[in-house]
Amino acid sequence: MPSPNIIKKVSGKTAPVLRSRISTRQFRFSKDGTEDGSSHDLQQWLKRKQSVWPTDNLNPFVDKEQVEEISLNLFVGDPQLPDNLVEFSFKERAFVPVIFHDQSLILLENEGTCLHIESQEAKELTAAVSSISTEVIEEKEPSDEIVETINESLKNCEEEESADEIDDDEIKDIKDEKDAIAKQSTLGKTKKLMNQFNFCERATITYSNFLKNTGTQTKPPIRMTFSNYATQWIIYDSYQENYEMQEREKEKGKREKSTVLIKKEDFQKKFVTDRNDVMNTNMIKKLLILERMINQNIFDDILQDFRYYEDPSDEFQNSTGTLLPLWKFQFQEIKKLSVTDIKWNPRYFDLFGVSFGTFDFQKQSSNGCFCLWSLKNPSYPDFVTYTQSGVMSLDFHISRPYLVVVGLHNGTVAVYDFRFNSKSPIYQSNHVDNKHCGIVWQVQWGEDLTDGEMIFYSVSSDGSVFNWILMQNYLSLTSIITLYNKPEPNSLLINEENNQLKDCGMCIALHPTDHLLFLIGTEEGYIYKCSTAYLATYLFTYEAHHMPVHRLDYNKYSPNIFASCSADWSIKIWEDNRKEPLFVFDTASSVADVKWAPYSSTVLAAVCFDCKTYVFDLNVDKYKAICVQTICSKKFNKLTKLAFNWKLPVIVVGDDKGISSVLKLSPNLRIKPRVTKKQQGVDLNELEIIKLEKLLSLIREPTEKSKSIIIQSSDSTSI
Amino acid sequence: MSNEVDEIMKRIQSYKGVVGTIVVTSEGIPIKTTLDNTTTVQYAGLVSHLADKARSVVRDLDPTNDLTFLRVKSKKHEIMVAPDKDFKIITVQYPAE
Repeated sequence: MPSPNIIKKVSGKTAPVLRSRISTRQFRFSKDGTEDGSSHDLQQWLKRKQSVWPTDNLNPFVDKEQVEEISLNLFVGDPQLPDNLVEFSFKERAFVPVIFHDQSLILLENEGTCLHIESQEAKELTAAVSSISTEVIEEKEPSDEIVETINESLKNCEEEESADEIDDDEIKDIKDEKDAIAKQSTLGKTKKLMNQFNFCERATITYSNFLKNTGTQTKPPIRMTFSNYATQWIIYDSYQENYEMQEREKEKGKREKSTVLIKKEDFQKKFVTDRNDVMNTNMIKKLLILERMINQNIFDDILQDFRYYEDPSDEFQNSTGTLLPLWKFQFQEIKKLSVTDIKWNPRYFDLFGVSFGTFDFQKQSSNGCFCLWSLKNPSYPDFVTYTQSGVMSLDFHISRPYLVVVGLHNGTVAVYDFRFNSKSPIYQSNHVDNKHCGIVWQVQWGEDLTDGEMIFYSVSSDGSVFNWILMQNYLSLTSIITLYNKPEPNSLLINEENNQLKDCGMCIALHPTDHLLFLIGTEEGYIYKCSTAYLATYLFTYEAHHMPVHRLDYNKYSPNIFASCSADWSIKIWEDNRKEPLFVFDTASSVADVKWAPYSSTVLAAVCFDCKTYVFDLNVDKYKAICVQTICSKKFNKLTKLAFNWKLPVIVVGDDKGISSVLKLSPNLRIKPRVTKKQQGVDLNELEIIKLEKLLSLIREPTEKSKSIIIQSSDSTSI
Repeated sequence: MSNEVDEIMKRIQSYKGVVGTIVVTSEGIPIKTTLDNTTTVQYAGLVSHLADKARSVVRDLDPTNDLTFLRVKSKKHEIMVAPDKDFKIITVQYPAE
């Protein structure tokens, strides 16, 4: 606050204040006088207990000096206050100087009453006061009172003076003053003012803490509206993606540590080609599904039959059955080749492999082929593989259904892996020395070796049986046996090597339980029982047929029983180590193939060149087939091969025009054994074996009695 | 697209009752077709939406599951869709009579 202001105020309001002062003092003194020693506090405050004033007023100025008040003006102004403070205005986006309008706070406003006695103002004031006081005196109290009080105070002063040792000069001065005041007082005009020494006002300004405001303006974050549609699977996918990425990074970290970084460009190139490949394979997969669906629509009626049609006439026909033709599988590009072998895949019951070649020695085609068909797509094979020579046989590995071994017309064997590449073999025998010298009539996978290597056997018209082992990167060949023409039973073959003609192996059947044993059927009609343990001898020789043996097949339930078929129009059923057959069935044509049914121990089927398919159930009829059915046109076609499905009641029959027909067996052809009361709780397998044994016991007795009795089919005679 | 894909597509086209096949990208843009232009556009637009929705249904029920095939059998014909991540194959077949 500027100083003149204060003074103004003071000067403006002095008159009444002064008056009140005087009056208080008056009161004090009067109190002092009356109550004397009784009020101690007051006296203490006054500090004038002992002072005794003479009755006559000697020095009234001493008191006057003491009473006089000094005014100290303290100006309010903050020296620390900055005068160039600025502030950022968000409104104007610029710095704007801050104007302090008021830097101080008024905590207490106390009107000052002090004036310097010698100052101009004071003089004016006294003058003014005197003028007022006269008025007052006139109105209220006589000035005598004031004079009295002054005198009293002077007395006090003098008492003090007397107590102290005061210089004469001083006293003089005081006296002068006193006189002057006395004069004034007597006049009633002079007014006592505060002494400048015994009064002070104090004020302190403490440091005021700066108030600081700091602000920063940043760029506001970019705002945009984001909306998406989230479902459970989208969330799941994104989590999955994230997880995969983490895994990849982990792997990457590991790889970076262990190996050198692949160049980025190479990687990218690889990535692009990979993507294309993946896309292609995906597309092929989808197209194949589509193809199957279209085929399902096309062959809808056949599918219904396949699944649900059971020939109702079976109920009325006495124990005879029928075969219902379903699809025909034909590969357009190999019309001229005939079906040389059919095998069902051991894992996928709807998948079967068909090999194509030719049996006609004169018309050898330069190429062969084998296909894997699925029942779901009869229009086109799932896999097609072309070979350099006609394929004469094929077999699926039983525990690795993707492995296929094929035997070719030119004597070589090859193994294909359908997981990776169905076009080229993973193993192939050498074209020069590591192969058969004749047609490979049959190949069959054997039991894996103890160290996990896979093996297969092949039989060829060059008279040798080979055992092939799939080594790391080549086929290892072991010759098991070489067949010689018309050997004496149990004779040593090696000694007679020079003067013996080689016999041609036509088919092979591995013993289902004893992995050392196998049967070989030859072109001369013999069946040899051999063991891999004794290479030089036959364990047993069956003089079975007069013409080439086309197929040997072990019964699925009893490993002692096997069937054989031959070009001599007969099907024979043999028991192990028995020279004579248990059953002989004659047909009117060369029998191309015979197979035991997987669902029954007494059912077997055969196909003949005259396009007839025979189904026998020994339990039902021991003398003739319960079903004889012509499958295709007798004029042009010959049936060549046959295969039972291991799960569904269907068979596949192949002919020499490359057509494979799927036929459904009617209920009469697949009769389950009846469970008697005694047999309840017995395994179905057991029942089948019991059924077979029961049947065999009937047959065996007469053969033991007389060797000549042979059960024959009623209508034909053997050649 | 590789030869094999072309081959299979040709084969599919040759089957009985098959009217046409359209290959559509995941965005619904036809990239290969054996039908005429307007039909292709119509089928591509409508069917790919339907297939997306169908897939969404299957996956919403079980996120680990996925749609492999979609058949729409109608009075007159059958639309078959083989959906994949990057494409869809749409085939229209008239039933054998």
